[in-house]
Amino acid sequence: MIKFETGNLRVPKWTRPVYMVAAGTSDFRKRYPEKRLEELCMMAFRMLLEENGLKKSPQEVKGLINFCAYGEFADHFQDQLLCESKVHDYLGLQPLPNIGVKTGGATGGSTILAGAQSIASGYSDCTLVLGWERMDEVKTWTGNYYIASAACKDFETRLARNYASYYAPMARRFGEMYNVDERVRASIAVKNRGYATNSPYAQQSGHHTIDEVLAGDIVSDPLRFLECCAMSVGSAAVLLCSEEVAYSLTDHPVKLSIAGGTDSLRCGDRRHMRIPLLPNETEEQYAWLYKEMEKWDGRWPGFESFCAARFAAYMVYRMAGIHEPLEDLDLVETHDAFTISDLQTYGDVGLTPYGREQDYVTSGECYLVNPHTGKQGKCPANLSGGLLGTMHAVGATGIFQAMEILWQLQGKYDWFHGREELWQRYGKTKPADWQSLQVKNPRRGLAISHAGVGSHVTCAVLEKAW
Amino acid sequence: MSKNSNIQMAPSAITEEKGVWILHNPRFGPEGTHFHTYGQLTPYFKGLTEGRLLGTRCTNPQCPIDNGADNLWIPPRMDCPDCHMPMTWQEAPTLAGYVYAYTKVERGGTGLEIPCPYFQVDVKLDGVATIIKSWLSGGTDSPIKIGTKVHAAFQTGAQATHTNLDLYWVRA
Repeated sequence: MIKFETGNLRVPKWTRPVYMVAAGTSDFRKRYPEKRLEELCMMAFRMLLEENGLKKSPQEVKGLINFCAYGEFADHFQDQLLCESKVHDYLGLQPLPNIGVKTGGATGGSTILAGAQSIASGYSDCTLVLGWERMDEVKTWTGNYYIASAACKDFETRLARNYASYYAPMARRFGEMYNVDERVRASIAVKNRGYATNSPYAQQSGHHTIDEVLAGDIVSDPLRFLECCAMSVGSAAVLLCSEEVAYSLTDHPVKLSIAGGTDSLRCGDRRHMRIPLLPNETEEQYAWLYKEMEKWDGRWPGFESFCAARFAAYMVYRMAGIHEPLEDLDLVETHDAFTISDLQTYGDVGLTPYGREQDYVTSGECYLVNPHTGKQGKCPANLSGGLLGTMHAVGATGIFQAMEILWQLQGKYDWFHGREELWQRYGKTKPADWQSLQVKNPRRGLAISHAGVGSHVTCAVLEKAW
Repeated sequence: MSKNSNIQMAPSAITEEKGVWILHNPRFGPEGTHFHTYGQLTPYFKGLTEGRLLGTRCTNPQCPIDNGADNLWIPPRMDCPDCHMPMTWQEAPTLAGYVYAYTKVERGGTGLEIPCPYFQVDVKLDGVATIIKSWLSGGTDSPIKIGTKVHAAFQTGAQATHTNLDLYWVRA
């Protein structure tokens, strides 16, 4: 669909508000032979029940659950159909109803969307949203082939069997059209992997330099290894509630708005369309961009932008009353599977106008501490460490991102990242240079969950409700 | 094994049933083969093996997008996504295009049939609505850029793999 009618642009409306109150996670590893998948899911569930300071006991909270939404990217990886049943049984939740959700890399976000719908509709007062992925049963390059099965098998998969090669042409087009310095892309890897050094859950944290990133081996040019996320094993969970249940469990619930968008699986099938405008944008503002596209035989969204992300942002900002994203949002988690997807997304979600994404990153506003001003950035990105630094256990990823925003809004970054006991739990030593990445007084955060080369995206706005 | 494009792939077996090609993808030996139908897109894959590049276009004057004067779709679709009416087969208006985007693939996932490194290319052809993802034969010693002119080439006859790899591009 490249032309909308009025009905297509109806803004979603909950019939009653939806709240997120608690979350839990395992740590994430490249290989995790010590634990079965169900045991990793239990780690996330137990943390959700026991460590969020809820006003009721774990058994009492469990006694409130009406419905479960489970996210898993690929049966290929688990080598198990109906994994939902095994996990549900292991968590001791039968005969409560559950559903499994699959939308590629956006599975986590879509699972939250499904869980939120269960609350908003009145089907449930308390819904467990939990996701996982076990990507270590196969060797890395077979895993890459499995992931590339999420490209079109008739026309794309055989052309690399590696997803980086589907993002790399986007990086090429984006880079040339907007004259992007590759050091800016590399700085995203440095930032996110650096933030991950403060997370006990992180799989591939590290203090790197831009030169180190650029000197790394190429996966699919221009993308280097440190610009690509790795495969992970782990699980993450959040608890969604009605208003009444939310306040019975915590004095610090977070209000949730979430919306989705899609685009064709094959990037090359995306024909030109007009940009759906966010509340703070005007048609005139993009006159220059349409002209610039003519020079490049370009199109919107083309290879440079994600219509699915723009559509999801278009909807969720109207649901949540966001008018000026950069002013109204205090932090964001982007789907930085590759440095380029992080960079592209800033325009899609309106943290900067299209075409100015590079300037936005160099402005420093996406850092916790803006390197130019020494003050807090306007909208720090991926303080969790993101996919580049912390994890991409695909079915869990979007849930993990929302979890990190929840804890930031609740002021719990230190509790969930800084305790010595947590680091020890995962066999790690808390770094001597550990830093709190708690944002000062955040009000709202944005979590973006993203699939394919932008085939599915959800955008979730989480807002303090106290 | 193909001789003219260096692909590391024996031709995939196909069977024809009710006029369509069914590709055999063995996973666990003969008993564990996936039988994947090309369905109504069979003319496209068959066309590649004959050195022809076919697409489809909507000719419905009531179509809300371009009133049936829309450009060709490659990969083809049998039904128009805009008006849902059947599309019409047509040969590509040209086999000469340019590189719209590209990457040099240094390493691919398990089972990759194209020897690395190679250029994966997204090719724009005049008169075609879509941008065709494919690969460039001829190695990577000579660099390419956005705008590099290329020409379609095909693996035909006994060299055909019966997959989308039967279409590739060479520098013009």
